[in-house]
Amino acid sequence: MVNEILQGIIEALILIFTFDPEVWNVILLSLRVSGTAILIATIISLPISSYMALRNFPGKKFLTNLINTFMGFPPVVMGLIIFLLLSKSGPFGFLGLLYSPTAMIIAQLFLAIPIIIGTTKAALESVDPNIKETILSLGSTETQLWWELIKESKRSIIAGILVAFGQAISEVGAVMIVGGNIRWYTRTFTTAIVLQTRMGEFGMAIALGLLLIAITFLINYALTHLQMGEKK
Amino acid sequence: MNLLEVEGLSKVYLRKDGSAQVVLSNINFNIKKGECFTIIGPNGSGKTTLLRILALLEKPTSGKIYFKGEEITALSKKDIINYRRKLSFVRQKPVVLNTSVYKNIAYGLKIRGMDPELIDKKVKEIIEIVGLKGLEDKNARALSGGEMQRVAIAMNFIFEPELYLLDEVSANLDSKNLKLLEQFISKIKDDEDKTIILSTHDKLEAIKFADRIGVLIDGSISQIGHPNEVFTVPKDEFTALFVGYENIFSGKAMIDQKSGLSIIKINDITITASSLVEGDVKVCIRPESIGISKKSPEKVSYRNTFKAIIKEIRDLGNICHLVVKCNNERFLIAITKLSLANLNLAQNSEVYINFKATDVTIL
Repeated sequence: MVNEILQGIIEALILIFTFDPEVWNVILLSLRVSGTAILIATIISLPISSYMALRNFPGKKFLTNLINTFMGFPPVVMGLIIFLLLSKSGPFGFLGLLYSPTAMIIAQLFLAIPIIIGTTKAALESVDPNIKETILSLGSTETQLWWELIKESKRSIIAGILVAFGQAISEVGAVMIVGGNIRWYTRTFTTAIVLQTRMGEFGMAIALGLLLIAITFLINYALTHLQMGEKK
Repeated sequence: MNLLEVEGLSKVYLRKDGSAQVVLSNINFNIKKGECFTIIGPNGSGKTTLLRILALLEKPTSGKIYFKGEEITALSKKDIINYRRKLSFVRQKPVVLNTSVYKNIAYGLKIRGMDPELIDKKVKEIIEIVGLKGLEDKNARALSGGEMQRVAIAMNFIFEPELYLLDEVSANLDSKNLKLLEQFISKIKDDEDKTIILSTHDKLEAIKFADRIGVLIDGSISQIGHPNEVFTVPKDEFTALFVGYENIFSGKAMIDQKSGLSIIKINDITITASSLVEGDVKVCIRPESIGISKKSPEKVSYRNTFKAIIKEIRDLGNICHLVVKCNNERFLIAITKLSLANLNLAQNSEVYINFKATDVTIL
Protein backbone atom coordinates (compact mmCIF):
# COMPACT_ATOMS: atom_id res chain seq x y z
CA MET A 1 0.00 0.00 0.00
CA VAL A 2 2.81 2.40 0.99
CA ASN A 3 4.47 1.52 -2.24
CA GLU A 4 1.29 2.33 -4.13
CA ILE A 5 0.99 5.71 -2.47
CA LEU A 6 4.62 6.57 -3.21
CA GLN A 7 4.17 5.47 -6.78
CA GLY A 8 1.01 7.59 -6.94
CA ILE A 9 2.81 10.71 -5.71
CA ILE A 10 5.65 10.25 -8.20
CA GLU A 11 3.12 9.74 -10.97
CA ALA A 12 1.23 12.82 -9.80
CA LEU A 13 4.34 15.00 -9.93
CA ILE A 14 5.11 13.74 -13.42
CA LEU A 15 1.53 14.54 -14.53
CA ILE A 16 1.70 18.03 -13.05
CA PHE A 17 5.10 18.99 -14.37
CA THR A 18 4.65 17.50 -17.83
CA PHE A 19 1.48 19.56 -18.13
CA ASP A 20 -0.66 16.50 -18.91
CA PRO A 21 -3.50 17.66 -21.20
CA GLU A 22 -6.20 15.85 -19.25
CA VAL A 23 -5.07 17.39 -15.96
CA TRP A 24 -5.06 20.80 -17.60
CA ASN A 25 -8.51 20.21 -19.01
CA VAL A 26 -9.83 19.43 -15.53
CA ILE A 27 -8.12 22.46 -13.98
CA LEU A 28 -9.35 24.91 -16.59
CA LEU A 29 -12.89 23.53 -16.58
CA SER A 30 -13.11 23.68 -12.77
CA LEU A 31 -11.81 27.24 -12.71
CA ARG A 32 -14.11 28.27 -15.54
CA VAL A 33 -17.22 26.72 -14.01
CA SER A 34 -16.64 28.00 -10.47
CA GLY A 35 -15.29 31.34 -11.68
CA THR A 36 -18.31 31.98 -13.89
CA ALA A 37 -20.72 30.87 -11.17
CA ILE A 38 -19.11 33.19 -8.60
CA LEU A 39 -18.97 36.12 -11.02
CA ILE A 40 -22.68 35.83 -11.86
CA ALA A 41 -23.54 35.17 -8.21
CA THR A 42 -21.69 38.34 -7.19
CA ILE A 43 -23.48 40.42 -9.81
CA ILE A 44 -26.85 39.09 -8.61
CA SER A 45 -26.04 39.21 -4.88
CA LEU A 46 -24.57 42.70 -4.52
CA PRO A 47 -27.77 44.64 -5.27
CA ILE A 48 -29.93 42.23 -3.26
CA SER A 49 -27.65 42.32 -0.23
CA SER A 50 -27.31 46.11 -0.50
CA TYR A 51 -31.06 46.52 -0.58
CA MET A 52 -31.43 44.21 2.39
CA ALA A 53 -28.72 45.99 4.37
CA LEU A 54 -29.77 49.57 3.66
CA ARG A 55 -33.54 49.46 3.47
CA ASN A 56 -36.29 48.37 5.76
CA PHE A 57 -39.15 46.46 4.22
CA PRO A 58 -41.79 44.03 5.42
CA GLY A 59 -40.53 40.46 5.53
CA LYS A 60 -36.89 41.53 5.91
CA LYS A 61 -36.39 39.31 8.94
CA PHE A 62 -37.94 36.32 7.21
CA LEU A 63 -35.79 36.85 4.13
CA THR A 64 -32.68 37.15 6.29
CA ASN A 65 -33.51 33.87 8.00
CA LEU A 66 -34.12 32.26 4.65
CA ILE A 67 -30.77 33.45 3.30
CA ASN A 68 -29.00 32.22 6.42
CA THR A 69 -30.63 28.81 6.06
CA PHE A 70 -29.61 28.59 2.42
CA MET A 71 -26.02 29.51 3.28
CA GLY A 72 -25.64 25.99 4.62
CA PHE A 73 -27.81 24.29 2.01
CA PRO A 74 -26.65 20.67 1.31
CA PRO A 75 -25.00 20.73 -2.15
CA VAL A 76 -26.23 17.24 -2.98
CA VAL A 77 -29.81 18.36 -2.51
CA MET A 78 -29.14 21.43 -4.65
CA GLY A 79 -27.76 19.06 -7.31
CA LEU A 80 -30.90 16.97 -7.08
CA ILE A 81 -33.17 20.02 -7.46
CA ILE A 82 -31.27 21.36 -10.47
CA PHE A 83 -31.21 17.84 -11.94
CA LEU A 84 -35.00 17.56 -11.64
CA LEU A 85 -35.50 21.00 -13.15
CA LEU A 86 -33.17 20.37 -16.10
CA SER A 87 -33.97 16.71 -16.76
CA LYS A 88 -35.84 15.91 -19.95
CA SER A 89 -39.19 15.64 -18.19
CA GLY A 90 -38.51 18.69 -16.00
CA PRO A 91 -39.82 22.24 -16.61
CA PHE A 92 -36.49 23.38 -18.15
CA GLY A 93 -35.73 20.12 -19.90
CA PHE A 94 -36.25 21.73 -23.29
CA LEU A 95 -33.07 23.72 -22.80
CA GLY A 96 -31.05 20.52 -23.01
CA LEU A 97 -28.62 21.72 -20.38
CA LEU A 98 -28.30 18.61 -18.25
CA TYR A 99 -24.79 17.09 -18.16
CA SER A 100 -23.18 20.30 -19.42
CA PRO A 101 -20.81 22.83 -17.82
CA THR A 102 -23.74 25.29 -17.87
CA ALA A 103 -25.73 22.97 -15.60
CA MET A 104 -22.79 22.86 -13.19
CA ILE A 105 -22.53 26.66 -13.27
CA ILE A 106 -26.23 26.91 -12.44
CA ALA A 107 -25.89 24.51 -9.47
CA GLN A 108 -22.85 26.35 -8.07
CA LEU A 109 -24.54 29.68 -8.72
CA PHE A 110 -27.47 28.81 -6.49
CA LEU A 111 -25.12 27.51 -3.80
CA ALA A 112 -23.01 30.68 -3.93
CA ILE A 113 -25.75 33.32 -4.02
CA PRO A 114 -26.90 32.88 -0.40
CA ILE A 115 -23.30 32.84 0.82
CA ILE A 116 -22.42 36.06 -0.98
CA ILE A 117 -25.68 37.78 -0.04
CA GLY A 118 -25.25 36.75 3.60
CA THR A 119 -21.64 37.85 3.93
CA THR A 120 -22.06 41.07 1.94
CA LYS A 121 -25.15 42.06 3.90
CA ALA A 122 -23.30 41.42 7.17
CA ALA A 123 -20.31 43.40 5.91
CA LEU A 124 -22.44 46.39 4.90
CA GLU A 125 -24.37 46.27 8.16
CA SER A 126 -21.22 46.12 10.24
CA VAL A 127 -20.00 49.51 9.00
CA ASP A 128 -19.94 51.83 12.03
CA PRO A 129 -23.26 53.76 12.08
CA ASN A 130 -21.26 56.91 12.80
CA ILE A 131 -19.51 56.53 9.47
CA LYS A 132 -22.83 56.00 7.73
CA GLU A 133 -24.29 59.11 9.32
CA THR A 134 -21.21 61.16 8.58
CA ILE A 135 -21.48 60.25 4.90
CA LEU A 136 -25.18 61.14 4.95
CA SER A 137 -24.72 64.42 6.78
CA LEU A 138 -21.99 65.46 4.35
CA GLY A 139 -24.82 65.49 1.82
CA SER A 140 -24.56 62.18 -0.02
CA THR A 141 -27.39 60.69 -2.05
CA GLU A 142 -28.44 57.12 -1.40
CA THR A 143 -26.30 55.84 -4.27
CA GLN A 144 -23.28 57.81 -3.06
CA LEU A 145 -23.80 56.43 0.44
CA TRP A 146 -24.04 52.89 -0.95
CA TRP A 147 -20.83 53.27 -2.90
CA GLU A 148 -18.97 54.59 0.16
CA LEU A 149 -20.28 51.73 2.29
CA ILE A 150 -19.11 49.22 -0.34
CA LYS A 151 -15.70 50.87 -0.24
CA GLU A 152 -15.68 50.86 3.57
CA SER A 153 -16.46 47.13 3.71
CA LYS A 154 -14.71 45.95 0.55
CA ARG A 155 -12.34 43.65 2.41
CA SER A 156 -15.15 41.74 4.08
CA ILE A 157 -17.09 41.60 0.82
CA ILE A 158 -14.12 40.19 -1.08
CA ALA A 159 -13.55 37.72 1.76
CA GLY A 160 -17.15 36.50 1.39
CA ILE A 161 -16.72 36.08 -2.36
CA LEU A 162 -13.50 34.10 -1.83
CA VAL A 163 -15.22 31.82 0.68
CA ALA A 164 -17.99 31.18 -1.85
CA PHE A 165 -15.41 30.40 -4.53
CA GLY A 166 -13.55 28.01 -2.23
CA GLN A 167 -16.78 26.18 -1.48
CA ALA A 168 -17.79 26.05 -5.13
CA ILE A 169 -14.53 24.63 -6.43
CA SER A 170 -14.26 21.97 -3.74
CA GLU A 171 -17.92 20.94 -3.92
CA VAL A 172 -18.55 17.48 -5.37
CA GLY A 173 -22.17 16.31 -4.95
CA ALA A 174 -24.03 18.83 -7.06
CA VAL A 175 -21.58 18.94 -10.00
CA MET A 176 -21.48 15.16 -10.06
CA ILE A 177 -25.28 14.94 -10.32
CA VAL A 178 -25.89 17.69 -12.89
CA GLY A 179 -22.56 17.49 -14.75
CA GLY A 180 -22.33 13.73 -15.04
CA ASN A 181 -18.51 13.65 -14.78
CA ILE A 182 -18.02 13.33 -18.53
CA ARG A 183 -14.35 13.06 -19.53
CA TRP A 184 -12.99 16.15 -21.37
CA TYR A 185 -16.37 17.86 -20.94
CA THR A 186 -17.75 18.07 -17.40
CA ARG A 187 -15.03 16.44 -15.34
CA THR A 188 -13.85 18.73 -12.53
CA PHE A 189 -11.25 18.33 -9.78
CA THR A 190 -13.61 16.77 -7.34
CA THR A 191 -15.52 14.46 -9.64
CA ALA A 192 -12.25 13.29 -11.22
CA ILE A 193 -10.72 12.52 -7.84
CA VAL A 194 -13.78 10.44 -6.88
CA LEU A 195 -13.62 8.48 -10.14
CA GLN A 196 -9.82 7.93 -10.25
CA THR A 197 -9.78 6.79 -6.64
CA ARG A 198 -12.53 4.26 -7.35
CA MET A 199 -10.59 3.01 -10.37
CA GLY A 200 -7.38 2.75 -8.34
CA GLU A 201 -5.63 5.38 -10.50
CA PHE A 202 -4.04 7.09 -7.54
CA GLY A 203 -1.49 9.09 -9.54
CA MET A 204 -4.15 11.16 -11.26
CA ALA A 205 -6.22 11.43 -8.06
CA ILE A 206 -3.25 12.62 -5.98
CA ALA A 207 -2.14 15.06 -8.68
CA LEU A 208 -5.59 16.65 -8.80
CA GLY A 209 -5.86 16.56 -5.00
CA LEU A 210 -2.54 18.42 -4.65
CA LEU A 211 -3.60 21.04 -7.18
CA LEU A 212 -6.98 21.54 -5.49
CA ILE A 213 -5.26 21.95 -2.13
CA ALA A 214 -2.88 24.46 -3.73
CA ILE A 215 -5.83 26.49 -5.01
CA THR A 216 -7.67 26.45 -1.67
CA PHE A 217 -4.40 27.34 0.03
CA LEU A 218 -4.05 30.37 -2.23
CA ILE A 219 -7.62 31.42 -1.41
CA ASN A 220 -6.99 31.09 2.31
CA TYR A 221 -3.72 32.93 1.98
CA ALA A 222 -5.57 35.78 0.30
CA LEU A 223 -8.23 35.69 3.05
CA THR A 224 -5.67 35.86 5.84
CA HIS A 225 -3.93 38.67 4.02
CA LEU A 226 -7.22 40.57 3.81
CA GLN A 227 -7.96 40.05 7.49
CA MET A 228 -4.47 41.12 8.51
CA GLY A 229 -4.88 44.24 6.40
CA GLU A 230 -8.15 45.00 8.15
CA LYS A 231 -6.40 45.20 11.51
CA LYS A 232 -3.79 47.66 10.33
CA MET B 1 -37.45 85.87 8.97
CA ASN B 2 -36.30 83.01 11.12
CA LEU B 3 -33.93 80.56 9.52
CA LEU B 4 -35.08 77.71 11.69
CA GLU B 5 -38.24 77.25 13.71
CA VAL B 6 -38.75 74.32 16.03
CA GLU B 7 -42.28 73.69 17.22
CA GLY B 8 -43.33 71.25 19.90
CA LEU B 9 -40.54 68.82 19.12
CA SER B 10 -40.55 65.57 21.10
CA LYS B 11 -38.61 62.36 20.86
CA VAL B 12 -39.58 59.21 22.69
CA TYR B 13 -37.64 55.96 22.45
CA LEU B 14 -39.29 52.66 23.20
CA ARG B 15 -37.18 50.57 25.50
CA LYS B 16 -36.96 46.81 24.99
CA ASP B 17 -39.24 46.18 27.96
CA GLY B 18 -41.90 48.33 26.30
CA SER B 19 -41.53 51.36 28.54
CA ALA B 20 -41.02 54.76 27.01
CA GLN B 21 -37.96 56.93 27.43
CA VAL B 22 -38.63 60.58 26.80
CA VAL B 23 -35.46 62.12 25.37
CA LEU B 24 -36.89 65.43 24.22
CA SER B 25 -40.19 66.92 25.22
CA ASN B 26 -41.94 69.87 23.70
CA ILE B 27 -38.94 71.80 22.43
CA ASN B 28 -39.69 75.22 20.94
CA PHE B 29 -37.23 77.77 19.64
CA ASN B 30 -36.49 79.99 16.68
CA ILE B 31 -33.13 80.77 15.23
CA LYS B 32 -32.36 83.83 13.17
CA LYS B 33 -30.08 83.87 10.18
CA GLY B 34 -26.53 84.71 11.18
CA GLU B 35 -27.07 83.87 14.81
CA CYS B 36 -24.95 81.65 17.03
CA PHE B 37 -27.32 79.72 19.24
CA THR B 38 -25.74 77.64 21.97
CA ILE B 39 -27.50 74.72 23.56
CA ILE B 40 -26.05 74.10 26.97
CA GLY B 41 -26.95 71.15 29.13
CA PRO B 42 -25.52 68.31 31.17
CA ASN B 43 -24.53 65.00 29.56
CA GLY B 44 -27.57 62.96 28.61
CA SER B 45 -29.89 65.95 28.46
CA GLY B 46 -30.77 65.32 24.81
CA LYS B 47 -28.42 67.75 23.03
CA THR B 48 -27.11 65.21 20.54
CA THR B 49 -30.59 63.87 19.77
CA LEU B 50 -31.84 67.40 19.14
CA LEU B 51 -29.01 68.13 16.71
CA ARG B 52 -29.45 64.76 15.01
CA ILE B 53 -33.11 65.55 14.46
CA LEU B 54 -32.19 68.97 13.07
CA ALA B 55 -29.79 67.20 10.66
CA LEU B 56 -32.66 64.85 9.72
CA LEU B 57 -30.64 61.84 10.81
CA GLU B 58 -33.47 60.94 13.13
CA LYS B 59 -37.21 61.51 13.02
CA PRO B 60 -38.95 63.32 15.86
CA THR B 61 -41.82 61.50 17.56
CA SER B 62 -43.87 64.64 17.23
CA GLY B 63 -43.39 68.30 16.41
CA LYS B 64 -42.35 70.26 13.38
CA ILE B 65 -39.22 71.95 12.13
CA TYR B 66 -39.26 74.75 9.58
CA PHE B 67 -36.22 75.82 7.60
CA LYS B 68 -36.75 79.17 5.85
CA GLY B 69 -40.45 78.67 6.36
CA GLU B 70 -40.56 75.23 4.77
CA GLU B 71 -41.41 72.24 6.90
CA ILE B 72 -38.46 69.88 6.77
CA THR B 73 -39.95 67.16 8.91
CA ALA B 74 -42.12 66.16 5.94
CA LEU B 75 -39.68 66.31 3.05
CA SER B 76 -39.28 63.83 0.20
CA LYS B 77 -36.05 61.83 0.01
CA LYS B 78 -34.62 64.12 -2.63
CA ASP B 79 -35.44 67.25 -0.68
CA ILE B 80 -33.91 65.77 2.47
CA ILE B 81 -30.60 65.50 0.59
CA ASN B 82 -30.97 69.07 -0.67
CA TYR B 83 -31.59 70.25 2.90
CA ARG B 84 -28.65 68.26 4.28
CA ARG B 85 -26.40 69.87 1.69
CA LYS B 86 -27.14 73.23 3.28
CA LEU B 87 -25.76 72.17 6.62
CA SER B 88 -22.75 70.68 8.25
CA PHE B 89 -23.15 68.35 11.19
CA VAL B 90 -19.94 68.03 13.16
CA ARG B 91 -19.96 65.41 15.83
CA GLN B 92 -18.08 65.01 19.05
CA LYS B 93 -16.03 62.03 17.87
CA PRO B 94 -14.19 62.67 14.63
CA VAL B 95 -15.21 60.28 11.86
CA VAL B 96 -13.11 59.98 8.72
CA LEU B 97 -13.52 57.77 5.70
CA ASN B 98 -11.21 54.90 4.89
CA THR B 99 -9.35 56.81 2.20
CA SER B 100 -6.66 59.45 1.80
CA VAL B 101 -6.67 62.74 3.67
CA TYR B 102 -7.16 64.58 0.39
CA LYS B 103 -10.16 62.48 -0.69
CA ASN B 104 -11.71 62.79 2.76
CA ILE B 105 -11.56 66.57 2.67
CA ALA B 106 -12.71 66.72 -0.95
CA TYR B 107 -15.65 64.35 -0.39
CA GLY B 108 -18.32 66.91 0.49
CA LEU B 109 -17.44 69.01 -2.56
CA LYS B 110 -17.18 66.01 -4.85
CA ILE B 111 -20.65 64.69 -4.07
CA ARG B 112 -22.01 68.18 -4.64
CA GLY B 113 -20.66 67.92 -8.16
CA MET B 114 -18.21 70.79 -7.92
CA ASP B 115 -15.71 71.38 -10.69
CA PRO B 116 -12.59 69.24 -9.99
CA GLU B 117 -10.21 72.15 -10.50
CA LEU B 118 -12.09 74.27 -7.99
CA ILE B 119 -12.20 71.33 -5.55
CA ASP B 120 -8.45 70.96 -5.86
CA LYS B 121 -7.92 74.63 -5.14
CA LYS B 122 -10.21 74.63 -2.11
CA VAL B 123 -8.83 71.39 -0.68
CA LYS B 124 -5.25 72.61 -1.00
CA GLU B 125 -6.23 75.86 0.68
CA ILE B 126 -7.86 74.24 3.68
CA ILE B 127 -5.11 71.61 4.01
CA GLU B 128 -2.71 74.51 4.40
CA ILE B 129 -4.93 76.17 7.02
CA VAL B 130 -5.39 73.06 9.14
CA GLY B 131 -1.72 72.15 8.84
CA LEU B 132 -2.00 68.78 7.13
CA LYS B 133 0.42 69.58 4.33
CA GLY B 134 2.49 66.56 3.32
CA LEU B 135 -0.14 64.13 4.60
CA GLU B 136 -2.54 64.47 1.63
CA ASP B 137 -1.96 60.96 0.32
CA LYS B 138 -1.93 59.21 3.69
CA ASN B 139 -4.95 57.17 4.73
CA ALA B 140 -6.89 59.31 7.18
CA ARG B 141 -7.51 56.34 9.48
CA ALA B 142 -3.77 55.84 9.87
CA LEU B 143 -3.27 59.33 11.31
CA SER B 144 -2.85 60.27 14.95
CA GLY B 145 -5.99 61.27 16.88
CA GLY B 146 -5.16 64.96 16.66
CA GLU B 147 -4.49 64.86 12.92
CA MET B 148 -7.69 62.91 12.36
CA GLN B 149 -9.60 65.62 14.20
CA ARG B 150 -8.13 68.19 11.84
CA VAL B 151 -9.23 66.14 8.83
CA ALA B 152 -12.73 65.95 10.33
CA ILE B 153 -12.79 69.72 10.90
CA ALA B 154 -11.60 70.41 7.34
CA MET B 155 -14.04 67.99 5.70
CA ASN B 156 -17.01 69.46 7.55
CA PHE B 157 -16.15 73.11 7.05
CA ILE B 158 -14.89 73.08 3.47
CA PHE B 159 -18.25 73.24 1.72
CA GLU B 160 -19.28 76.37 3.64
CA PRO B 161 -22.95 75.55 4.31
CA GLU B 162 -25.56 77.97 5.60
CA LEU B 163 -26.09 76.14 8.86
CA TYR B 164 -23.54 74.55 11.16
CA LEU B 165 -24.64 72.00 13.73
CA LEU B 166 -21.73 71.54 16.09
CA ASP B 167 -22.27 68.79 18.64
CA GLU B 168 -19.86 69.10 21.57
CA VAL B 169 -17.12 69.51 19.02
CA SER B 170 -14.53 70.77 21.44
CA ALA B 171 -14.99 67.96 23.96
CA ASN B 172 -12.11 65.76 22.81
CA LEU B 173 -9.85 68.31 21.17
CA ASP B 174 -6.30 68.99 22.21
CA SER B 175 -5.41 72.63 22.78
CA LYS B 176 -3.91 73.12 19.32
CA ASN B 177 -6.99 71.79 17.55
CA LEU B 178 -9.30 73.65 19.90
CA LYS B 179 -7.66 76.88 18.80
CA LEU B 180 -8.06 75.88 15.16
CA LEU B 181 -11.73 75.05 15.64
CA GLU B 182 -12.35 78.32 17.47
CA GLN B 183 -10.73 80.16 14.58
CA PHE B 184 -13.16 78.49 12.20
CA ILE B 185 -16.15 79.21 14.43
CA SER B 186 -15.13 82.84 14.86
CA LYS B 187 -14.80 83.19 11.11
CA ILE B 188 -18.26 81.75 10.54
CA LYS B 189 -19.68 83.96 13.27
CA ASP B 190 -18.39 87.02 11.46
CA ASP B 191 -20.24 85.98 8.33
CA GLU B 192 -23.81 87.17 8.62
CA ASP B 193 -25.09 84.54 6.20
CA LYS B 194 -23.90 81.65 8.33
CA THR B 195 -25.85 80.33 11.27
CA ILE B 196 -24.45 78.18 14.05
CA ILE B 197 -26.13 75.88 16.52
CA LEU B 198 -23.56 74.68 18.98
CA SER B 199 -24.14 72.25 21.80
CA THR B 200 -21.87 72.03 24.80
CA HIS B 201 -21.80 71.15 28.46
CA ASP B 202 -19.07 73.69 29.02
CA LYS B 203 -20.40 76.96 30.35
CA LEU B 204 -17.46 79.07 29.25
CA GLU B 205 -17.59 77.75 25.73
CA ALA B 206 -21.29 78.50 25.61
CA ILE B 207 -20.69 82.07 26.70
CA LYS B 208 -17.79 82.58 24.34
CA PHE B 209 -19.70 82.14 21.09
CA ALA B 210 -23.34 82.48 21.99
CA ASP B 211 -25.60 85.25 20.80
CA ARG B 212 -28.31 83.40 22.65
CA ILE B 213 -28.24 80.40 24.93
CA GLY B 214 -30.82 77.66 25.33
CA VAL B 215 -30.56 75.57 28.46
CA LEU B 216 -31.55 71.96 27.87
CA ILE B 217 -32.13 69.90 31.00
CA ASP B 218 -33.68 66.43 31.00
CA GLY B 219 -35.02 66.86 27.49
CA SER B 220 -36.73 70.18 28.08
CA ILE B 221 -35.58 73.69 27.35
CA SER B 222 -35.70 75.41 30.70
CA GLN B 223 -34.62 78.82 29.47
CA ILE B 224 -33.66 80.70 26.35
CA GLY B 225 -32.04 84.08 26.48
CA HIS B 226 -29.02 86.24 26.04
CA PRO B 227 -26.01 84.91 27.94
CA ASN B 228 -26.10 87.57 30.60
CA GLU B 229 -29.79 86.94 31.20
CA VAL B 230 -29.36 83.19 31.57
CA PHE B 231 -26.41 83.50 33.90
CA THR B 232 -27.70 86.29 36.10
CA VAL B 233 -31.39 85.44 36.17
CA PRO B 234 -31.71 81.67 35.79
CA LYS B 235 -35.35 80.79 35.48
CA ASP B 236 -35.43 77.99 37.98
CA GLU B 237 -33.33 76.17 40.49
CA PHE B 238 -32.27 73.43 38.08
CA THR B 239 -31.02 75.93 35.57
CA ALA B 240 -29.25 77.87 38.28
CA LEU B 241 -27.61 74.73 39.64
CA PHE B 242 -26.39 73.66 36.27
CA VAL B 243 -25.28 76.91 34.70
CA GLY B 244 -24.17 78.68 37.84
CA TYR B 245 -24.20 82.45 38.08
CA GLU B 246 -21.94 84.65 36.06
CA ASN B 247 -21.66 88.31 35.08
CA ILE B 248 -21.03 88.45 31.37
CA PHE B 249 -20.19 91.51 29.30
CA SER B 250 -19.07 92.10 25.75
CA GLY B 251 -16.50 94.77 25.11
CA LYS B 252 -13.39 95.91 23.35
CA ALA B 253 -10.04 95.20 24.94
CA MET B 254 -6.72 96.88 24.58
CA ILE B 255 -3.43 96.53 26.37
CA ASP B 256 -2.34 99.37 28.60
CA GLN B 257 1.41 99.60 28.08
CA LYS B 258 2.01 101.53 31.31
CA SER B 259 0.39 99.04 33.69
CA GLY B 260 0.83 95.93 31.55
CA LEU B 261 -2.83 95.10 32.04
CA SER B 262 -5.79 94.88 29.70
CA ILE B 263 -8.36 97.64 29.64
CA ILE B 264 -11.79 96.58 28.47
CA LYS B 265 -14.35 99.15 27.46
CA ILE B 266 -17.90 98.00 28.07
CA ASN B 267 -20.29 100.77 27.05
CA ASP B 268 -19.93 103.29 29.86
CA ILE B 269 -17.59 101.42 32.15
CA THR B 270 -14.01 100.27 31.83
CA ILE B 271 -12.78 97.08 33.41
CA THR B 272 -9.18 96.20 34.09
CA ALA B 273 -8.12 92.59 33.64
CA SER B 274 -4.82 90.84 34.20
CA SER B 275 -4.81 88.58 31.13
CA LEU B 276 -3.49 90.30 28.03
CA VAL B 277 -5.93 90.51 25.13
CA GLU B 278 -6.96 92.88 22.42
CA GLY B 279 -10.07 93.22 20.28
CA ASP B 280 -13.65 92.08 20.82
CA VAL B 281 -13.93 89.96 23.93
CA LYS B 282 -16.39 88.57 26.38
CA VAL B 283 -15.72 89.11 30.05
CA CYS B 284 -16.91 86.98 32.97
CA ILE B 285 -16.87 87.90 36.63
CA ARG B 286 -18.23 85.50 39.19
CA PRO B 287 -20.78 87.03 41.59
CA GLU B 288 -18.79 85.68 44.57
CA SER B 289 -15.69 87.54 43.38
CA ILE B 290 -17.31 90.94 43.69
CA GLY B 291 -17.02 92.70 47.02
CA ILE B 292 -19.25 95.49 48.17
CA SER B 293 -18.60 98.51 50.40
CA LYS B 294 -20.51 101.58 51.44
CA LYS B 295 -17.63 103.97 50.94
CA SER B 296 -15.16 104.21 48.15
CA PRO B 297 -12.30 102.00 49.27
CA GLU B 298 -8.89 103.58 49.48
CA LYS B 299 -5.53 101.90 49.10
CA VAL B 300 -6.86 98.45 48.31
CA SER B 301 -5.70 95.87 45.78
CA TYR B 302 -8.88 95.96 43.74
CA ARG B 303 -8.20 97.33 40.27
CA ASN B 304 -11.92 97.68 39.59
CA THR B 305 -14.15 99.88 41.72
CA PHE B 306 -17.48 101.26 40.55
CA LYS B 307 -20.19 103.29 42.14
CA ALA B 308 -23.54 101.49 41.84
CA ILE B 309 -27.10 101.38 43.08
CA ILE B 310 -28.77 98.29 44.50
CA LYS B 311 -31.78 97.48 42.36
CA GLU B 312 -32.86 94.17 43.80
CA ILE B 313 -32.09 91.89 46.73
CA ARG B 314 -32.82 88.18 46.37
CA ASP B 315 -32.88 86.09 49.51
CA LEU B 316 -31.31 82.64 48.96
CA GLY B 317 -31.11 81.52 52.57
CA ASN B 318 -27.75 82.26 54.16
CA ILE B 319 -26.57 84.14 51.09
CA CYS B 320 -28.15 86.92 49.10
CA HIS B 321 -27.93 87.93 45.50
CA LEU B 322 -27.80 91.63 44.87
CA VAL B 323 -28.54 93.06 41.48
CA VAL B 324 -26.79 96.40 41.20
CA LYS B 325 -26.72 98.90 38.41
CA CYS B 326 -23.60 100.77 37.49
CA ASN B 327 -24.24 103.29 34.73
CA ASN B 328 -26.22 101.09 32.41
CA GLU B 329 -24.57 97.77 33.25
CA ARG B 330 -26.09 95.28 35.61
CA PHE B 331 -23.99 93.20 38.01
CA LEU B 332 -25.02 90.21 40.08
CA ILE B 333 -23.24 90.01 43.41
CA ALA B 334 -23.35 87.22 45.96
CA ILE B 335 -22.80 88.15 49.61
CA THR B 336 -23.69 86.53 52.90
CA LYS B 337 -26.81 87.59 54.74
CA LEU B 338 -24.58 88.62 57.61
CA SER B 339 -22.74 91.14 55.42
CA LEU B 340 -26.03 92.44 54.13
CA ALA B 341 -27.13 93.13 57.70
CA ASN B 342 -23.77 94.53 58.82
CA LEU B 343 -23.58 96.95 55.93
CA ASN B 344 -27.22 97.83 56.39
CA LEU B 345 -27.95 97.47 52.71
CA ALA B 346 -31.36 97.97 51.17
CA GLN B 347 -32.88 98.59 47.79
CA ASN B 348 -31.66 101.82 46.20
CA SER B 349 -28.69 102.03 48.57
CA GLU B 350 -25.66 103.58 46.98
CA VAL B 351 -22.65 101.26 47.16
CA TYR B 352 -19.24 100.60 45.66
CA ILE B 353 -18.54 97.30 43.99
CA ASN B 354 -14.99 96.02 43.87
CA PHE B 355 -13.22 93.18 42.13
CA LYS B 356 -9.66 92.26 41.30
CA ALA B 357 -8.19 92.34 37.81
CA THR B 358 -7.24 88.69 38.32
CA ASP B 359 -10.87 87.75 38.91
CA VAL B 360 -11.87 88.89 35.44
CA THR B 361 -12.04 85.93 33.07
CA ILE B 362 -11.65 86.84 29.45
CA LEU B 363 -13.08 84.60 26.73
